[in-house]
Amino acid sequence: MKRPLAAITGGVTGIAVMSVLLLFLEVETRSNLAIFEAVARFAGMPGNVAFGFVLFVLAGVFAWPLAFMALEEYIPGGPDPATRGMVLAVVLWVVFVLTGRGDLSGGLLAIYVIFTLLAHLCYGFLLGAVYGRLTSGGPLEAERYDPTDVSQ
Amino acid sequence: MRSVAADGGYLSGLGFESEKPAGLFRWLTTVDHKDIGVLYIAFAAGAALWGGTDAMMIRTELFTAGTDVWSPETYNALFTAHGFTMLFFFATPAFTGLANYFIPILIGADDMAFPRINAIAFWLLPPSLLLVRGGLVTEVLGKMLAAVGVRWELLFSLEPPTTGWTLYTPHSALLANPQVDLVLLGLHLSGLATVMAAINIIVTIFTERGENVTWSNLDIFSWTLLTTSGIILFAFPVLGSSLLMLVADRNFGTTFFAVDGGGPILWQHLFWFFGHPEVYILVLPAFGLVSLILPKFAGRKLFGFKFIVYSTLAIGVLSFGVWAHHMFSTGMDPRLRSSFMAVSLAIAIPSAVKTFNWMATLWGGNVRWAAPQIFCVGGIMTFIVGGVTGVFLASIPVDLVLHDTYYVVGHFHFIVMGVITFAAFAASYYWFPLLTGRMFNRRLGRIHGYLSIVGVFLAFLPMILIGYEGLPRRYASYPESFVPLQQVSSFGALIIGIGVLIWLTNMVQSYRLGPIVTDADVWNLRESGQFSREWQWFETQLEERTKFRR
Repeated sequence: MKRPLAAITGGVTGIAVMSVLLLFLEVETRSNLAIFEAVARFAGMPGNVAFGFVLFVLAGVFAWPLAFMALEEYIPGGPDPATRGMVLAVVLWVVFVLTGRGDLSGGLLAIYVIFTLLAHLCYGFLLGAVYGRLTSGGPLEAERYDPTDVSQ
Repeated sequence: MRSVAADGGYLSGLGFESEKPAGLFRWLTTVDHKDIGVLYIAFAAGAALWGGTDAMMIRTELFTAGTDVWSPETYNALFTAHGFTMLFFFATPAFTGLANYFIPILIGADDMAFPRINAIAFWLLPPSLLLVRGGLVTEVLGKMLAAVGVRWELLFSLEPPTTGWTLYTPHSALLANPQVDLVLLGLHLSGLATVMAAINIIVTIFTERGENVTWSNLDIFSWTLLTTSGIILFAFPVLGSSLLMLVADRNFGTTFFAVDGGGPILWQHLFWFFGHPEVYILVLPAFGLVSLILPKFAGRKLFGFKFIVYSTLAIGVLSFGVWAHHMFSTGMDPRLRSSFMAVSLAIAIPSAVKTFNWMATLWGGNVRWAAPQIFCVGGIMTFIVGGVTGVFLASIPVDLVLHDTYYVVGHFHFIVMGVITFAAFAASYYWFPLLTGRMFNRRLGRIHGYLSIVGVFLAFLPMILIGYEGLPRRYASYPESFVPLQQVSSFGALIIGIGVLIWLTNMVQSYRLGPIVTDADVWNLRESGQFSREWQWFETQLEERTKFRR
């Protein structure tokens, strides 16, 4: 598969899972985190949840995956693209936490920070894993397991 | 069909040549016991992560004395959902999954006795989980629709229930929230699934054993699962009937549990007649796993095999005679109370027999601290604390003081988070190479093991102390004086959570990229003569897989 298409497929998978995770988090916490308001702030549209969410999806499907494709070789964590995707996602998460946290504090802020990090890691992992799967011929080379080697 | 892998011909994981359809269709239509076992395990892991999220949210609320993170309703919903999810959708399916995968292999059968019922039993679980946690799911749907401008009020009408997992009447009978009815039906459905799986296990072990597998050389894991399934057969129908009675009380004007009918105490009797055996349904498979795995890393055969089997059967029988110890403080007849105290104390004996046998197995053995062994020994440690605190609770005078305090919560978490989950983790590491054809990262596994032991003690010992001080459970706020202990407990929970994330990363990444296993004797079991049936089976599988490349 062509590399841009593979990256976008990865982005679609990642953003779909991440959106459902965030939605579950929002409902599970009885809307205390106002996660989609945070998404709107992150997308630069504070107050406009629907439009902010559309921007968030578009960025997750096109902008980040294409950036990932272009930057892949320079991102640490290789050769596994999934690990590299997670590194990229952590960078995105830092921005998300800084722009999106609103006036959360204390325990709510802790929950927000931890669970949005997990959602971002899922996104990055899926982006990289799907991209890697679609662009390479098969799974990465793996060594054989040696029971006598206690170092691993 | 895939036949050749990119790594030069070694076929890893589940992707070897077979008659099965490929992709999603395979998993939706499979009746192969191994596939169903994997489905069960994946389902249980997903439920555990969800229930773990609830736990982390509970501990966040309890980090401070006031109700300043969630509302009291949300807090009540959290511990209710946490209990349901962990007991019915994590622990039970996790062990059923292992049973599905390994019992036919261990007893030399081709498959379970009823492969299609096996598939049905599994596929009843996802809908029952959705029913039990239905309010959240419909709200997610509602919010999705609302995002595109369609507001459907019905989807917002189901609130997460706040009954506690014991569903005590009259509260659960009078609560107006319609979601409670869905919970009752969901639990009933999961009960049906569990009974089907249990019947399947019993029939498989009785009728499908290979020629050389007799009762005397049946492995310890199959013995415990057989006993567990026997308990399920007697306990779950009682739960099912009681749930339907409660549904009728709520919707059709019956008075089974109303004051002018059977009374609220009737619910407690029926519920705990199921509920206490349920505890052993969860813990016996864990004991079986410890008994199976511990000797392999001790370099010695299991000490007192027969007595482990007898104690398993004894626990199975006695488990039905202890239910009223949950009700010592309800004002029941003192003579009845003391008889239940006697049986509750007696059940500690077979449990101690197991513990001493495990210790004797380790005695003088050549112990290797691989991840599965760390979890087995850690599980024994937490079981001793959980068991001894249980002995105290079984005695009426102590129970009257400690009933419904954090002491009880600490006691049972040492067992459910301690030995039960630890055994599940031990099995996940021990059989990982067999399930995936790859090896996990052993250093991460060990780190996870040590973190979990520290985490469990940090999280649940403070609860024992908080309970001694008399703080009741199930309140979102508490007096300031408990803040330090509660914070230590939350910190411990965080450590357990970090361990779980390490486990998840290890499992996922090792499944994708771990070193490929080419020799079935991954744990050097031949040395101590413990290269048991499932590994012999794995060896023939590996041989068949490598045939293709020649």
